[in-house]
Amino acid sequence: MGPVPRTLELFYDVLSPYSWLAFEVLCRYKNIWNISLQLQPTLIGGILRESGNQPPAMLPHKAVYLRSDLRLLSQHHQVPIHFPKDFFSVILKKGSLTAMRFLTAVKMEHPELLEKVSRELWMRVWSRDEDITEPPSILAAAEKAGMSMEQAQELLERVSTPQVKNQLKETTEAACKYGAFGLPVTVAHLQDETHMLFGSDRLELLAHLLGEKWMGPVPPAVNAKL
Amino acid sequence: MGPVPRTLELFYDVLSPYSWLAFEVLCRYKNIWNISLQLQPTLIGGILRESGNQPPAMLPHKAVYLRSDLRLLSQHHQVPIHFPKDFFSVILKKGSLTAMRFLTAVKMEHPELLEKVSRELWMRVWSRAAEKAGMSMEQAQELLERVSTPQVKNQLKETTEAACKYGAFGLPVTVAHLQDETHMLFGSDRLELLAHLLGEKWMGPVPPAVNAKL
Repeated sequence: MGPVPRTLELFYDVLSPYSWLAFEVLCRYKNIWNISLQLQPTLIGGILRESGNQPPAMLPHKAVYLRSDLRLLSQHHQVPIHFPKDFFSVILKKGSLTAMRFLTAVKMEHPELLEKVSRELWMRVWSRDEDITEPPSILAAAEKAGMSMEQAQELLERVSTPQVKNQLKETTEAACKYGAFGLPVTVAHLQDETHMLFGSDRLELLAHLLGEKWMGPVPPAVNAKL
Repeated sequence: MGPVPRTLELFYDVLSPYSWLAFEVLCRYKNIWNISLQLQPTLIGGILRESGNQPPAMLPHKAVYLRSDLRLLSQHHQVPIHFPKDFFSVILKKGSLTAMRFLTAVKMEHPELLEKVSRELWMRVWSRAAEKAGMSMEQAQELLERVSTPQVKNQLKETTEAACKYGAFGLPVTVAHLQDETHMLFGSDRLELLAHLLGEKWMGPVPPAVNAKL
């Protein structure tokens, strides 16, 4: 048996396009690097409040820059990101509370589906400019990810239970304790140290810390680790 | 003769450690990629004022993060960055007006020395080379008495305004002039993306040294 896989926690919110970039790259590398990827559904609104930070889009020059940055990164990373027509409404008004509670419930009950359901929610809000706040929207994403309608309905009902609400709160607080002021946050648990890395642009550095090879955001596909 | 080198403008301020990272990486690649690197001494204070942005260190969690981010990047990029003992005094009070006017004058009078002098100033502010970072500013002050003409002051202002026009809200800013389009990239962490836009190969922040392009 080889060396123990290093645990990587990825704290993310589907409202965050940069979280999507980090998510896809780490999903690609989880079968290449000796890592155990732990997806952590988190509420970006909670992170920003706790740290006193603002969404970058609140600064006019950053809002302009974000659009071209995401367009170029989308191409380079081969992740189909498209800005929603009414960006401010989607991000600042509608938010992601229900979606992230749903993903929290998925993680608690059907962790093997967490990756796929997360991806389908991103595809809705950050690729096809579709809603993720209404129950039918969430159920549609879950179904597309391969969940049965019964399973999805059941999980949706659990969204408003104290257990699910508290779990999302705890995960968000854990990210804050690591020093998060935004998302995505990757926490690498190495033998002697723990590193918190912010952003989708610290993954080459992460490779360096892991002693692994960086092959860009779209590494050649390999057979799953045996 | 091969294809025309693509012009890359690097807008930087020696007060900015992330500018130093971008600077060193681009200096390494300028003899590998088909580019013409134009160093643009810029005033980060002017960029922040113009865009209404703050230095990231003003947010407590970011200030904590910066220290470890720069420590790790310093190792990975092989650039000897060390936080100055009195960080807030260096960055926020002393600033870099003198140093950046000095570099503007160097660019106007001795452009072939701009890379080396810029590096020396970074070594003094952001490395352990000087015990008190303020000392370098005083030395630059003396030299500046001799070069602080309206032309130099205006040139720095114009360069800073040019960066603002490109949409800068901080530094470093790399502007890539491609055949059909111009791209403004912010930060020292968009250089792999830059390679992709240039159609060049990214070999990490410390590429193997090659002989200078003939």
